[in-house]
Amino acid sequence: MSSKRKAAGEAGAAAGASAKGKKAKKGTGKAAEEVTDPVELDEEMPSEPEDDYLDEEEPLEEQGTFNDRDFSKLELKPDHVNRPLWICTDGRIFLETYSPIYKQAYDFLIAIAEPVCRPECVHEYNLTPHSLYAAVSVGLETETIISVLERLSKTRLPEEIARFIRDSTLNYGKVKLVLQRNRFFVESSSPSILRKLLQDDVISRARLSRDDFTISRAPEEAAAREMEKDLLAEGEPEPGAEALEKDLHSFEIDPEQVEHVKQRCLQPGDLCYPMLEEYDFRNDTVNPDLNIELKPMTQIRPYQEKSLSKMFGNGRARSGIIVLPCGAGKSLVGVSASCRVKKSILCLCTSSVSVDQWAYQFKLWSTVKDEQITRFTSENKERFRPNQASVCVTTYNMVAFGGRRSEESEEIINQIKSREWGLLLMDEVHVVPAQMFRKVIGITKSHCKLGLTATLVREDERISDLNFLIGPKLYEANWLDLVKAGHLANVQCAEVWCPMTREFYREYLKKENAGKQQALYVMNPNKFQACEFLIRYHEQQRGDKIIVFSDNIFALREYAHALRKPFIYGPTSHTERSRVLYAFKHDPNVNCVFLSKVGDNSIDIPEANVIIQISSHAGSRRQEAQRLGRILRPKGRAQDRVAGGAEEFNAFFYSLVSKDTVEMYYSTKRQQFLIDQGYSFKVITELPPPDMASELSYSTQQEQLDLLGRVLQADTAEAGEERLGEDLDDIERYRARRSVGNMRALSGADGMVYMEYSTGQPRPMGGRGRGRIPQASRHRIFRNRYGASRR
Amino acid sequence: MDFIRYLSELPPVKLDRLYESHFTCQAVLRSLPPIAKQYVLRLLFIEQPIAGETMRGWAKPEALGKHNAAMERLDQLRVLLETGGKSGKKDASYRLNPVFQQQLQRALSGAIGPPKDPLPPALASHKPSPADLNAYALKQWESLLLFLANAGAPGGERRGDQEPSKMIKGLLRRAGLMGTSDEGGVRISDEGFRFLLMDLYKQLWVVVREYVAEIEDQGLDGAQVTCFLMELGFYPLGEPHGVNRLSSLQKRVVEDLASVGLVYIQKAGGQSCFYPTRLASNLSASLSESSTWQPAEGFIIVETNFRTYGYTTSPLQIAILRLFTRIEYVLPNLVVGTITRESVNTAFSNGITADQIVAYLQQHAAPQIRQRVPVVPETVADQVRLWERDRNRVQQSRAVLYEEFPSQERFAAVVDYARQVGALLWQNPIERRFVASDGRHDDIRAFIRNQSRT
Repeated sequence: MSSKRKAAGEAGAAAGASAKGKKAKKGTGKAAEEVTDPVELDEEMPSEPEDDYLDEEEPLEEQGTFNDRDFSKLELKPDHVNRPLWICTDGRIFLETYSPIYKQAYDFLIAIAEPVCRPECVHEYNLTPHSLYAAVSVGLETETIISVLERLSKTRLPEEIARFIRDSTLNYGKVKLVLQRNRFFVESSSPSILRKLLQDDVISRARLSRDDFTISRAPEEAAAREMEKDLLAEGEPEPGAEALEKDLHSFEIDPEQVEHVKQRCLQPGDLCYPMLEEYDFRNDTVNPDLNIELKPMTQIRPYQEKSLSKMFGNGRARSGIIVLPCGAGKSLVGVSASCRVKKSILCLCTSSVSVDQWAYQFKLWSTVKDEQITRFTSENKERFRPNQASVCVTTYNMVAFGGRRSEESEEIINQIKSREWGLLLMDEVHVVPAQMFRKVIGITKSHCKLGLTATLVREDERISDLNFLIGPKLYEANWLDLVKAGHLANVQCAEVWCPMTREFYREYLKKENAGKQQALYVMNPNKFQACEFLIRYHEQQRGDKIIVFSDNIFALREYAHALRKPFIYGPTSHTERSRVLYAFKHDPNVNCVFLSKVGDNSIDIPEANVIIQISSHAGSRRQEAQRLGRILRPKGRAQDRVAGGAEEFNAFFYSLVSKDTVEMYYSTKRQQFLIDQGYSFKVITELPPPDMASELSYSTQQEQLDLLGRVLQADTAEAGEERLGEDLDDIERYRARRSVGNMRALSGADGMVYMEYSTGQPRPMGGRGRGRIPQASRHRIFRNRYGASRR
Repeated sequence: MDFIRYLSELPPVKLDRLYESHFTCQAVLRSLPPIAKQYVLRLLFIEQPIAGETMRGWAKPEALGKHNAAMERLDQLRVLLETGGKSGKKDASYRLNPVFQQQLQRALSGAIGPPKDPLPPALASHKPSPADLNAYALKQWESLLLFLANAGAPGGERRGDQEPSKMIKGLLRRAGLMGTSDEGGVRISDEGFRFLLMDLYKQLWVVVREYVAEIEDQGLDGAQVTCFLMELGFYPLGEPHGVNRLSSLQKRVVEDLASVGLVYIQKAGGQSCFYPTRLASNLSASLSESSTWQPAEGFIIVETNFRTYGYTTSPLQIAILRLFTRIEYVLPNLVVGTITRESVNTAFSNGITADQIVAYLQQHAAPQIRQRVPVVPETVADQVRLWERDRNRVQQSRAVLYEEFPSQERFAAVVDYARQVGALLWQNPIERRFVASDGRHDDIRAFIRNQSRT
């Protein structure tokens, strides 16, 4: 049955594709409706503006050199040597990693504070209201946090910090919204808070019965208790250590009023009790169970287990974000969480390629049956059976799409909307704009949301939005610890400085070439040679698998053609992508592939162990981390990888930078996140080795001049507009979106602009069918956005 | 600057005067490399010259390099004197410097120990412990360094709670460590910045050398001072010595050097005595790095993210860290800073070199990272050096601008000539100006003269 549907779905998609070509002439009828199918956007996902282009002033810089933060007045405890922490009144915490109680202190700090940098010896953390919110939501209590900090600190805990913690956590986590047997309960351990809430009109009206509070008992927080035990077990008998359950008071509210009640509770001022959402999935008898288990041979690593224990700490599922480095097995965490909840699972990813990968992961790790799992993308519209629990994997775009859909996908989306999902799994939450989250979360009804990501950094610092949309950060792993334990590849990072050739630099400096700067420094012949040399070296001498990243499409094509390597970029069709990636994985002769930005996220290429980056998106720390993540999956035997093993480094990350250009500035900025995680970038200045240079391409001046000519010409020919020369694919669109983002933020007319933009997009299906005339057409249409919608 | 270099740079007459003290001779003997020590002892009681050939035979052929180095050192220090033969190396023969030989014989054969003075009873109850002495020495020395370091900081000297004496300030200025700032106040010089990053031993010698020179400039006997300083090194630590038996010059030296911590003076009931400290014994300590006294345990941790964590409360160490890092947090027993391009550039412009920074970080590495190889993360060391190299990318060389040519032809001819001799750097025919490198200026000028004559 399902296979038949699938076939139908494919046929439908094919019809849609052919119809698109005729759209202009026909304009009406069912075929035209197909046209409005949501676009598989992949890398075109409108992301929020990242302000890489602006020099954000670091707060410390402003302080000036002599205006440092002087906390030397803090009082040292006599036995400070045995304690691992310094706590400053501004919330900064320093942790000595060589302390004997480092492990416990680390677990505790990661729960209550935001890591700033975690190199080898001394870690730094920041206490923020968000991080404390997260701490409370995994069950730590205010006084516990204060007393443990006091215990770990070398100095007396500053009064300001204690006050700050009390203020920030006073109201957090005191009230929970629990969905039990499809009835909503407002729950708290203290009845007085509930009484206070009920004084509010809206809330008391929403209350269903007027009886006394329901009293139930719930197991106490396992994870938090364990942590407390670790740190407090110094002979002090804990009050009520035996009592593993505590009383919970609750009252039921009208499901219709949930949103209003939540809103009321958030209200700053007199109430201000942000609600934590928890899902008591074990007692949910209304929604059908999904009968899946982890396969017996599936092994969960300790840190994965730890992150799950934060999520399921009290026997219920709580919403939040788990941060694990790429390659550390995020999908396994997702799948295991699904296997615990055992209800319908909706899994959202960023592209159709990763939809396939997620579906594959589900089948790999768990006992999910083929008919229990469905994919929903523009190409793959598998239907799921009504009234039966199932796993559905789809993309954010498919769900959030605001335009008209085909009949078929309309039907599926209605099913998605009407269903109560047990768990909403959200992959790569850091790339998706908050706007889209709001929409997706609004459309789908889910009891619990789990966000997964590797890098919780955004240049615009809007990551905190996620806190309130999904939930607090539940767990974040330490990269270096995972490397040391052999769970991640040990990567040698290097920055290769390529001097600009004289001719290229002259053009680079010219004002009239301002728009072509990127093309110029990426196409720098010295960089080309360095890249060629590295590819040769790793292909021939080490037999490695190499990915070359370039954000600049012109350069991507030039490089790939000159070196005769396959490449994938935005317009490359899904089938071709799969074919290239398949060849890369399995063909011993295909050891190198060129990727544009599309490869940054979620294209899973576990075989690769070398990355060469020839151009990048300005100063984006996230992109750098994501790209590194492509090669973090450990290879080879575990005992070789850990310290002292046969191979010290088994993965290589090269970033090629043209000297004396803005790239140098960007690259310092880009590396910041990784450096904060303890990675170090070695600078290489002599590459290729002088005796090799003549064997490589562009070694004669004539060749170099020809190349220069091509660069200068290609820009005008391909872009038609000077500004485009600088970038021929992503950033151009990106920039356009950027201004939209700013307008949106300014005017407050959020959704409007976004939707309008989305419908104004060219249909990539059509683009794919026609063979792409990418830049020009997109740009023109973009410019005529309003004109197009009028027509 | 160290002891050996100081001695070897002295004129022969002065050096020979120094050897009149057996303490100096012993100190020199101690500082020699093992093979040279061996030679000195062999020759100690031999009065005739020994042929260079014979001496070469003492070393195994494979150790010839060491032999030569030892001979060179002995020669530099005038411990071995060349006799007979013209200065041709072949048939040169050597003998020990007679003054040196005699003193060393006395020292080694006789029982000439350092003098012992009974402690006056009035002082006996207050005898300082060795630890007290060390603390005192360090405190004095650091206050001097701190004064210097703070003279470099904007706002100057404000932090110096203890100003060094006028004499010491004079020494610092003499040594070129301090100059006068534009506003007339004292200001640390480039040399001074480098001085701060040196190790203790070298710093000591810079000051002592200036002190001796100062004494000599006042027409006093510098050699006596040097010998006395050497002598101090042989006094047992923690033992008191009476002032009364000292010459008036020596008394003055004790007074002067007390303020930098070389000696500790105790006074009570009209009587006084002095104790040499570790600093004094360090002066004549042998060169081998292992035996130099590390004043404090290492305290710096450098991370791969360019963070530096200094476990210190010493204002001096903080001031030194501030020379090349951006200090961000000061905690009760820790300072947190970052090595940034800006901070390092400031250091460079103060004359500090990248190698000095890296060496300082290495020498003062905290025990926690001592075992790390390398102690300073490679990336940090590399980056600091690259930053330095980046500053040196632009080289300045002198050049000459030629202009106001009377006619285009003249101009063209001169430019042609400049090009021929390979000196032309830049030209602008419209304005009739060109620039050529300074090296050929004379030729070009001659050419122009010739031309205008025709």
